[in-house]
Amino acid sequence: MTTSRRRFLKQGLTAFGAAGLCGAFGNLNVLAAAAAHASFPPGDYKALVCIFLHGGNDSFNSIVPYSATEYAAYRTSRNVLVSDGGIAFDQATIQAQSLSALAAAGGLPGGVPSDGGSYGMHPALTELRQLFNAGHAAIVANVGTLLYPTSQAAYQAGTIAVPPQLFSHLDQSTYWQTSRPDDANANGWGGRIADRLHSANSGPVPMCVSLSSNNLFQRGDIVDSYSVSPEGVEKMSYLGDGPESWVIPPNDDGIAAYQALLAGNTQEHVFERAFADRSRNAVANYEFVDAALNGATPLSTAFPATSLGQQLRMAARLIQVRAALGMSRQVFYVSAGNYDSHNNQVDDQQSNLGQLSQALKAFHDATVELAIDQSVTAFTASDFGRSLGVNVDGTDHGWGGHHFVVGGAVRGQRFYGAMPSLRDTANPDDTGFGQIIPTTAVDQYAATLAKWFGVSNTEIADIFPSLAHFNSANLGFLG
Amino acid sequence: MKSRSSRVLLILALGAASLAGAQTPSHRPDAGMHSGFEGMDAGPYSDADAARFLAQATFGPTLDGIAHLRSVGYQAWLNEQFALPASTQIPYLDWVENLPPLPIGNDSVTDDTRIEAWTINALGTPDPSRGMAAPADQLRQRVAFALSEIFVVSNKNGTLAYQPWALASWYDTLAANAFGNYRALLKDATLHPAMGIYLTHMQNQKADTTHNIRPDENYAREVLQLFSIGLVKLAEDGTPLLNGGQPIPTYGQAGVRGFAAVLTGWNWNNTGCGPNTYECCNENNYSNCGRYGYNLPSWKLPMQPIEAFHDNTSTKQLLDYAGVALPAGVLAAGGNASQELDAALDNIFHHPNVGPFIGRRLIQRLVTSNPSPAYVQRVASTFNDNGSGVRGDLKATVRAILLDPEARFGQWMYPSLFGKLREPLLKNTQLWRAMSATTETGRIETLNPYPPIEDWYGQGPLRSQSVFNFFQPDYRNSGEISNLGLASPEFQILSDITAVSTNNRLFSLSFCWYSDGSSCWTNDHGAALYLDTARDAGLAASNPSALLDRYSLLFMSGQMSPFMHQVLLTRLNAITGGNRGRQRVQHALYLILNSPEYSIQK
Repeated sequence: MTTSRRRFLKQGLTAFGAAGLCGAFGNLNVLAAAAAHASFPPGDYKALVCIFLHGGNDSFNSIVPYSATEYAAYRTSRNVLVSDGGIAFDQATIQAQSLSALAAAGGLPGGVPSDGGSYGMHPALTELRQLFNAGHAAIVANVGTLLYPTSQAAYQAGTIAVPPQLFSHLDQSTYWQTSRPDDANANGWGGRIADRLHSANSGPVPMCVSLSSNNLFQRGDIVDSYSVSPEGVEKMSYLGDGPESWVIPPNDDGIAAYQALLAGNTQEHVFERAFADRSRNAVANYEFVDAALNGATPLSTAFPATSLGQQLRMAARLIQVRAALGMSRQVFYVSAGNYDSHNNQVDDQQSNLGQLSQALKAFHDATVELAIDQSVTAFTASDFGRSLGVNVDGTDHGWGGHHFVVGGAVRGQRFYGAMPSLRDTANPDDTGFGQIIPTTAVDQYAATLAKWFGVSNTEIADIFPSLAHFNSANLGFLG
Repeated sequence: MKSRSSRVLLILALGAASLAGAQTPSHRPDAGMHSGFEGMDAGPYSDADAARFLAQATFGPTLDGIAHLRSVGYQAWLNEQFALPASTQIPYLDWVENLPPLPIGNDSVTDDTRIEAWTINALGTPDPSRGMAAPADQLRQRVAFALSEIFVVSNKNGTLAYQPWALASWYDTLAANAFGNYRALLKDATLHPAMGIYLTHMQNQKADTTHNIRPDENYAREVLQLFSIGLVKLAEDGTPLLNGGQPIPTYGQAGVRGFAAVLTGWNWNNTGCGPNTYECCNENNYSNCGRYGYNLPSWKLPMQPIEAFHDNTSTKQLLDYAGVALPAGVLAAGGNASQELDAALDNIFHHPNVGPFIGRRLIQRLVTSNPSPAYVQRVASTFNDNGSGVRGDLKATVRAILLDPEARFGQWMYPSLFGKLREPLLKNTQLWRAMSATTETGRIETLNPYPPIEDWYGQGPLRSQSVFNFFQPDYRNSGEISNLGLASPEFQILSDITAVSTNNRLFSLSFCWYSDGSSCWTNDHGAALYLDTARDAGLAASNPSALLDRYSLLFMSGQMSPFMHQVLLTRLNAITGGNRGRQRVQHALYLILNSPEYSIQK
């Protein structure tokens, strides 16, 4: 810790009573000690890819029952058919998109849907359905933010702690990304994993790479994330090799002045240091990433020209150059928006899910092309599931929802966890407002991914402190 | 009373600042300029103080603006600004639409045309739609921009992307209400069709149990969470009230359902619709009538109620708080859509959270990311009562924010913490204003580059990716800021990507778009904004140190450190030759705009 930082701490404490400061830095020391030991054998590479669907995907219209009993329940809730201006699919449409789930085997979790029903996918999810039926994708049912297993009776009586601000976008997407509904200021679980494993990588670029915006999922105590534009690396014009660099000749005096102003640990103001750090790291990382990407053979897999398609394409390219980047473990973040379907859901979901499906298929194909598919797992996350009740041509904020896991290591073609009832009335899974109480916690979903990623059981318990409240720390969807 | 306690605070703060300065070589200017006894709202007593105030209250200081503020003082300047009528965007769109169609596209109105209008009003450049009169209502436009980042409506909505008049009208509504009362702003925002489309409460209908249709909770939830009171009960100083160590929620799901039920029955305004066409809404085709045509009156008029679709039969749980007018916050059944809306907005308006919640957000937009609780409390107190018994007076609130001792002297009180990361858009407007940028024709295309400006900056006027704005009030940048528990909203759009792309845009503006020479591109035309580099070229050629003093004043409120001054001077002195004046100006601008010291408004 530098002198100026120490002095700042004193001022900060005086000015704002910065609570928990000592705790934060004490934690850092523990983390630094733990991270120093992380290493994996040569060639042992793994990547996790978080696909965040902003707004809250209506997964109850993404995975839909067509067997008689379950479909009837679905219709009581979703009610008016698409053909009549509503959002309910007709039975035949879903049956034509059926999922051929494998039965449970070997005493392991996962199999046909727990309610015994038959399910199909939204017609826009054609490619994802093919991945599922080919064994490369699994469905994890009714996942959501939880602190404890929560029954309807306990929820309605208020006798059990639940995540604060249920049904709120900001809060619930925060808790999905941190898996810490008990701590509003927690870092992301991707960042917490990276905090513990980062010494397994040898290069300068952070383990966490975002192909989208700054995000909470990748925020760690000691590991920062790095953002790359899906279109590729853009360099700073003033330093040469950027757009319009030709306007002025590259000039050592200019570069020296620019760098002098940004030099590390010379700024007095906390925010100035943060701005300088970001500006410097952006340049240092892009030089390294650009050099690595330039040395790679172009991928032959075609990606869709959508935002999500291009984000996943860049993720695949960065996986391809993992050796040049010195990466043994990588955590990627990509995102898509416009999932908050209060209205116009039929059209919006057709477009959104189609883009998701096509991008996921291309990404999986690229990992096969790179012969790395066994080491790359992509998974979806979203603010929340949506309500069973309808807003004329859309749905409202919900709680639990189904999610997808894709990759060569996935024990695919199976459903994991309990399928909720979709009944409008007398529904044992309903909060009472049409929102479905999750039966699998985000902690369990995340811990299963972390375990596969190489995080030790001790560290998993540390990263996910509420995990002990649930009956299983490993849902079994990764071998 | 107020000024005495402020003086005590200042003396303490000055002591701390001096101490800090003595410990290490500092990259900040000498703190010993102020006695702290000048009084809070008198002044400014230096050009630097004037420039610093204008950085908070406008889209950037100018040399003339600094001189004027010094001559009239803060109070008179504020009164001048409060008295100016609002500059609006709609007339500009109408003017463009009526231009001759040649050259091709000359008269086409798109969302980029709305950005042109925004830029003219933000910069105060001559407006061709008003006979080249220059808008002067800087404070109102600056507050409207702040409000647009709290009450968010965006062109990223698939419908609004193609309705520039709707978004211009929305922005004009914010500007019109910027110095009015918050209660009127809340109602105008709620009933504006752009908001009705954006947060989907237009054509929201009462429950229909046969079809399992329930009122849409979207606007109900966000008006509470984002536009008025937030999620947890606050003390007047903005800190959360606690019960057993835990924050206390301001409302639950029952409350959201209550407001959603109140907000049923609102539809397009029928004024000016084509009779007997699908455009005119009646009670039988509530959800089918549509206004997707171009520049229809109904995009600019408040929504109107259609009672058949309003829920007048259920009692509605609204907000319950100490002193609430409705018994236990419950609205009895039976009111019509307008009556119930007014009752519900009154119920929100009188919640004790509104002052600290809105106050803190406006402070963050104008002054500093981490106001002290005492600063928030002083502003909230003014919001709660403007001194004449009026609640929600935004004019008084803005005055309280800008003339607070912490706003005026916070840089000495908390020298390592005070201030905010400048938004890229505001860096951009400051550059153009400081350098007297103009176009030949008055039209301005320079904030509409390819790709769109939000791809360079992470933000563009009314172009947020979601209702949660480009950045959130409590965002904590990773690392030291997060570990210290500080809010740093604007850092949310400073990614490794925008750190480069914003820098490169500012490079382009500095090196390609200037008055006294050939620019980088041959296809420039009359709508390009050029910096008046000629103004400063002579000074730069003869006395680069004086040039840096001028830019320290214009861009950094005189806060450029001796270290930075020396680094820049060395750089400028190395530039020689016949064009050295202009080139020194350009390099100075680029290096300042992308420096850490400038990037934090302090």
